[in-house]
Amino acid sequence: MRRGFRRRTPPVKILSDCEVEAIHRATLDLLEEVGCRFESKRALDLLKENGCIVNYEEFRARIPAYLVEEAVRRTPSSFLVRARDPKNNMMFGGNTLYFMSSAGARICDPETGIARTATLEENNQAVLISDALENLDCFPSYTPYFEIEEVEPVMLCPTSLASRIRYSSKVSRGAQVTDSYIWEIQLAQAVGQQLLGNMEAAPPLSYSEDAINAGFGYAEAGFPIYIAAGAVMGGTAPVTLAGSTITNNAELLAAVVFLQLVRPGIGIIANDFVEPIDMRTGSPAFGSLGCSLHHMAFNQIWNGFYRIPTNNTGPAFPNSKRIDFQGGYEKTHIAMASALSGANMIVLHGGVSSELSYHPLQAVMDDDIAAIVGRTIEGFEVNEETMAMEIIKEVEPMRGTYLNKAHTRTLWKKEYYVPKAADRLTYQEWLKTGRKNSIDYARERMEEVLATHKPTPITSEQDKEIDRILEEAKKYYRNRGLL
Amino acid sequence: MEQEILAGLKKTVLDYEIEKAESVAKDAISKGLDPIKCAEALTEAIRQIGEGFEKGDLFLADLVGASEVVKKALPPIHEEITRRGQKTASLGKVVIGTVFGDIHSIGKDMVATLLFANGFEVIDLGVNVRSDSFIDAAKKSEANILAMSALLTTTVMEQKNVIEGLRKEGIRPKLKVIVGGAPINQEFADRIGADGYGSTALEGVAIAKGLLGAG
Repeated sequence: MRRGFRRRTPPVKILSDCEVEAIHRATLDLLEEVGCRFESKRALDLLKENGCIVNYEEFRARIPAYLVEEAVRRTPSSFLVRARDPKNNMMFGGNTLYFMSSAGARICDPETGIARTATLEENNQAVLISDALENLDCFPSYTPYFEIEEVEPVMLCPTSLASRIRYSSKVSRGAQVTDSYIWEIQLAQAVGQQLLGNMEAAPPLSYSEDAINAGFGYAEAGFPIYIAAGAVMGGTAPVTLAGSTITNNAELLAAVVFLQLVRPGIGIIANDFVEPIDMRTGSPAFGSLGCSLHHMAFNQIWNGFYRIPTNNTGPAFPNSKRIDFQGGYEKTHIAMASALSGANMIVLHGGVSSELSYHPLQAVMDDDIAAIVGRTIEGFEVNEETMAMEIIKEVEPMRGTYLNKAHTRTLWKKEYYVPKAADRLTYQEWLKTGRKNSIDYARERMEEVLATHKPTPITSEQDKEIDRILEEAKKYYRNRGLL
Repeated sequence: MEQEILAGLKKTVLDYEIEKAESVAKDAISKGLDPIKCAEALTEAIRQIGEGFEKGDLFLADLVGASEVVKKALPPIHEEITRRGQKTASLGKVVIGTVFGDIHSIGKDMVATLLFANGFEVIDLGVNVRSDSFIDAAKKSEANILAMSALLTTTVMEQKNVIEGLRKEGIRPKLKVIVGGAPINQEFADRIGADGYGSTALEGVAIAKGLLGAG
């Protein structure tokens, strides 16, 4: 089982209890009066049979408050996901913080930031590197790259999962686009692992047929589900943090209601990825303050009030095009706000420019951010040994030292974190050893991993079965005229 | 008096007074003002907003807010233009939409608003627009430009499908096709046979103008 980081610090609360109640009441009101669009008759029938008021012409289900609260109660506060190697199993929820890899459409040049389409080999290498990173616990869908040179767009998701299965034994999330779930479920079952399923809203307040079919598919396969609704404040959600918290709540709770009807007691992790709109470009304002504040309120409500495990995607995507200072602070301020406010998982490693690019060098450096953020919420121990009063009283004022004590020698590694891809030299050492920066250290680590790291292997039968499933997928998409 | 009323129309846009828009327009018509001049006053106002946006003094919310005022004010003015047998001047007719399978709208809305602000007649088909809907709309409206947005790597090929559809219908030579969206680039636009690609909404409008010789 992956340990993750274990929270010892009480989560920071950005809202008062009354404010949480007000937001919850407003969410229930919205779901009851306006409801949510479900573009699937099968879903609408299920919702209607269980007490929702359904208008088939509008594809709309109005959800009564009691159903919402019952669905929240049914959703476990923690759940297990089995990896293909049990050492990588994950228990989501409770006081555990995990880190999920990020993704990008293309690979970026580390020096110039220019993005280009990655090759399949680059994709596989990036997966291998992620497998080796200590604080990277699992993968999202279509990661690391969601465009690969040799791969047709419609085959991207199943091919991407196949690569993750072959080059890593860590948990993965499935995708929801274009019936990809059909193949991803089979791929996972071929190697005896579970997936985090996927069901994502199309704000404001709606779920497409693709998303709903994926929800049905993954739930019926017995997988827990990662739900998400990536609204843009001022675009597909209100511009205010309070208003967009309500709409985001409603979108996600509609999925919780639906999924608990499909498979009562199903594990759900709720993702928050609401960004303010950039009022100049119309794009989401990646890396911004609004994102971190939204995460903090979200975590307080979903962890503290609903007791449903939470994920935050904000730290995954800086707006900076390069691996640089801006990217570093954009990721870290959001990751720290997420962790301090109670997130159970943070998407972080490797994302560079908005959702446009990814690089494994960034992932290596992000692994240090993950460790620092994770260790922050673990706090530090206060006990007889760590208070060290005996030693403090022994050490002579002014002339004394702690450096020669066994206490120092045996405990420093536990108390500190030494980053693996950072410049920790003195100035003189730095001058003499080639003036390396964090990217140089990350590159050394990356090359070491590529040369030496071996993921838990799959069997040759499993490998053949993966190829067979991918061929079936290609036939399916050819018959649908998509390939 | 005429100048005052036209200034009032313009101010309604510049002050984002959407509640008053229709009544101010109807009032101007009822007082016998030339509806073409009324339409020009609105266009002048939205152009001013557009310039402020290009300079960085105004923002998207201002641009969209102002265009909402104009959308409310224009119908009574256009009605009067038709009644008088006059014709509105526009730089060209643009059919715009987000392709099938894709529901992203913000970028497309920005382009539509800016095209409108720059004097184009815009027919916005919305999102998740099927190939044949684009083609039918382009045919019926005798559009000068077909503009398509796609934000998913899985939907970009729809832009190619629409262009092929235009060819099959025999209307490809009659209009220009421009494409945009985060996964699109110039190389892709060239490959699928588009006439233009805008990496930003402002660029898209400049290209539209250039393609029709209006830039």
